[in-house]
Amino acid sequence: MRKANWLLLVLVVVLSMFLAACSGGDDTTEEDTGTDTQQGSEGDSTNEEGNDGKVLRVVSTSEIPSLDPAQATDSVSIQYTDSLYEGLYRLKTGGEIVSGIANEDETVISEDGLTYTFKLREDAKWSNGEPVTANDFVYAWRRAITPETASVYGEYLMSGAIKNATEIYAGELEPTELGVTAEDDYTLKVELVKPVPYFESFVAFPTFLPLNQAFVEEQGENFAIELDNLLFNGPFVLTEWDNAAGWKLERNDQYWDKDNVDLDGINVKVVKETGTAVSLYEKGEIDRVGLSGEFVDQKKTSPDYYSLSEATVFWLKFNQGSSTKGEYMQNENFRRAIAQGFDKEAFINIVYGNDSIPADYFVPSDFVQNPETGEDFRAKYGNIISYDLETAQSAWEKAKQELGFEEVSLVFLSGDSDVGKAITEFFKSELEKNLEGLTIELQNVPWSEQLEIMDAQEYELAFSGWGPDYKDAISFIDLWETGGANNDIGYSNDEYDALVKSVKNELALKPVERFEAMQEAEKIMLDEAGIGPVMQRKTSVLSKNYVTGMEQLNPFGPSYSYKYVGIEK
Amino acid sequence: MSKYLLQRIGYMVITLFIIATATFFLMKLLPGSPFNQLASKLSDEQMAILLSRYGLDQPVPIQYFNYIVGLIQGDLGVSFQFNNQDVTKLIMNRLAPSAYLGGQAMIIGTILGIVLGMVAAIRNNTWIDYTSNVVAVIGISIPSFVFAGLLQYYIAVKWDLLPVAFWEGFEYTILPTISLMIFPLAICARFMRTEMMEVLGSDYIELARAKGMTKSTIMLKHAMRNALVPVITVLGPMTVSLMTGTLVIEQIFAIPGLGEQFVRSISVNDYPMIMGTTLLFSVLFIVVILIVDIMYGLIDPRIRITGGKD
Repeated sequence: MRKANWLLLVLVVVLSMFLAACSGGDDTTEEDTGTDTQQGSEGDSTNEEGNDGKVLRVVSTSEIPSLDPAQATDSVSIQYTDSLYEGLYRLKTGGEIVSGIANEDETVISEDGLTYTFKLREDAKWSNGEPVTANDFVYAWRRAITPETASVYGEYLMSGAIKNATEIYAGELEPTELGVTAEDDYTLKVELVKPVPYFESFVAFPTFLPLNQAFVEEQGENFAIELDNLLFNGPFVLTEWDNAAGWKLERNDQYWDKDNVDLDGINVKVVKETGTAVSLYEKGEIDRVGLSGEFVDQKKTSPDYYSLSEATVFWLKFNQGSSTKGEYMQNENFRRAIAQGFDKEAFINIVYGNDSIPADYFVPSDFVQNPETGEDFRAKYGNIISYDLETAQSAWEKAKQELGFEEVSLVFLSGDSDVGKAITEFFKSELEKNLEGLTIELQNVPWSEQLEIMDAQEYELAFSGWGPDYKDAISFIDLWETGGANNDIGYSNDEYDALVKSVKNELALKPVERFEAMQEAEKIMLDEAGIGPVMQRKTSVLSKNYVTGMEQLNPFGPSYSYKYVGIEK
Repeated sequence: MSKYLLQRIGYMVITLFIIATATFFLMKLLPGSPFNQLASKLSDEQMAILLSRYGLDQPVPIQYFNYIVGLIQGDLGVSFQFNNQDVTKLIMNRLAPSAYLGGQAMIIGTILGIVLGMVAAIRNNTWIDYTSNVVAVIGISIPSFVFAGLLQYYIAVKWDLLPVAFWEGFEYTILPTISLMIFPLAICARFMRTEMMEVLGSDYIELARAKGMTKSTIMLKHAMRNALVPVITVLGPMTVSLMTGTLVIEQIFAIPGLGEQFVRSISVNDYPMIMGTTLLFSVLFIVVILIVDIMYGLIDPRIRITGGKD
């Protein structure tokens, strides 16, 4: 009897504590539960909407670092500024540049290519009802080049392109001197310092989005920090923004072209774990998910599986300016042996397991086309430097003779993530197997440190890649110009430099010759194995078949053009 | 007591100051800079403008001085990852889900653990004891994210009983709470069992029995109270680490918590965020240690926190 009593007592105590704990827990989040339940019920209703209405449900692997167009540098910020604002032009699915606030057909470009006159639509409005005028562009562009704004892309894209941008950034001129003027409320004139054949790409890029001066100045330091500190003029407006958890977009009723926006809204949740995102997709809670690692292999046979081409190319960097192995890297045969001495297909299968394509080039395919014939950049010299063991090994023997070595060890630099380690391990085993006497030492460091080491040119061999910021091959070609800001491989070739120079100057207004000059430049560089191209990346996704307009990735700027995305069911 | 408290608070401030100083200088030794991610697109001129915008162009001692001055004024600065956003606000927003989950897991885990440990001690060498042992070993040796993965797959995905992820209401907290509470549960059960066994064999329990007290009084009033002392020692720090968020659990269940920022801020050199999270962790830790010390005195009157001479 006593025993039974005692057990009962313990049971009661435990239960009461347990219950107290639960209700206590609820009490402590009283403030939150208000919004929590609201979110919960809204979540439910949007799930229903997801079935009946047209709400796209996606996940983001990161929070939005900034919704200030001048500060947007990462893919998430760029994606959502593009959806929430609208510039002169915008991108259509796949990267075609189309009219935005300015009508493409009415744009006048002066014969010397130095003056652009954009005609703005008169029915474009901000989400507070005010009209979008040429002054909004003038204000935003000046703001982006003002040194205090510290906009990364402002300087990167404007300097050397728009009149006086370089001088304003250096503090020599006032921002008001920038070569952009509002002729009237709906006419914007832009003056360039030299013809920029890809200027259209710029005005479709977030840095060149308009801002409502009165609103931004009123917000001051708080601009774009929270939902209340934002004003939109794009296809969507932001209705909820709890950065760490997710955000919601709704079609903008004030948007001039709202009839052509198919989606009623977009629900975005932050999910950093691929496995979780895949589970959510399988339970039907989201419409689309990006795959990585093991999940690519697992889902390859799913009918929902798609592979999307990116304009990002990866390559091996041979540091010809290396203080330790520069002498070796300056030898063409030495570089060639490495560049052609590994199986690119095997690399992709082992390291990424996705559908990325082996690259024998560094200007991506399906990126830019011949302005006259419409032929892809790759059509002329498709595969310039491919995997070829025989060539590699004979080059290796020649290099040994020329440089007088029997054995050599190289330090291979890459990231310290799982992928980064898989990369270095692949190259170690593959190159050591194929090239006798070569030893690869691995250097796996965090990404930011890798960038620092490469920037300081303190590496020997590294794996790295590049994605363009505008639709023009020069984005890749000018990487290897002697003394170029991003030329951290110490490559230098007079013929190459001469071509780059003419492309940037006298050929600016001769699109076909310019295009061909870039094709030649790429060939020159790769014919002497300046770098070792590895692959052009593809992204693998699972997507519900009712989602349209997301079949392709844009080559630059926002990954997807949500304005043109639809749900068909 | 108040003198004791004042003294402790004084020590706390000094400790915090030392932690802030050490963290600041260690942090400056991190490779890379906050703007490294963009390095390939930044001109030298631009890097200089960015550095000066955040005061990073000044010598480290001056940066340190500025930081401490800001700290005393309660200003933790703005995050480098999230443009212009106040670190204090960012941390507080993220702390709420982490603290809620951690607290819930701690309370349930501890209570269940204590009960399990007590029962195991009282019924030692029976199947209850063995079961409790197995539970404890499993709980200590298998990492929480394995539980999280299994729970998510079976309960949420396969059987569809609970949500897979997100942070939208009570049902969303159940799976992460279970994943998080396994460890404290196991630890408590182990400690409690060992301590109870020892206490149960002590003289004062014999005395209590001899006085004819009921078994429940002996267990709850005498045995449990004394056995709790070591448990409380480990619980303090564990509470802090659970309440400040657990990276993997938060990622698996897509919870907008603080755990992720602890790790991420370091990898992206977000200096103000590194300092903010470290200081928060330290403050909580120090406060919890103080609470634990005070609780010793309350639970076991033999322990006198203010020292013998007062």
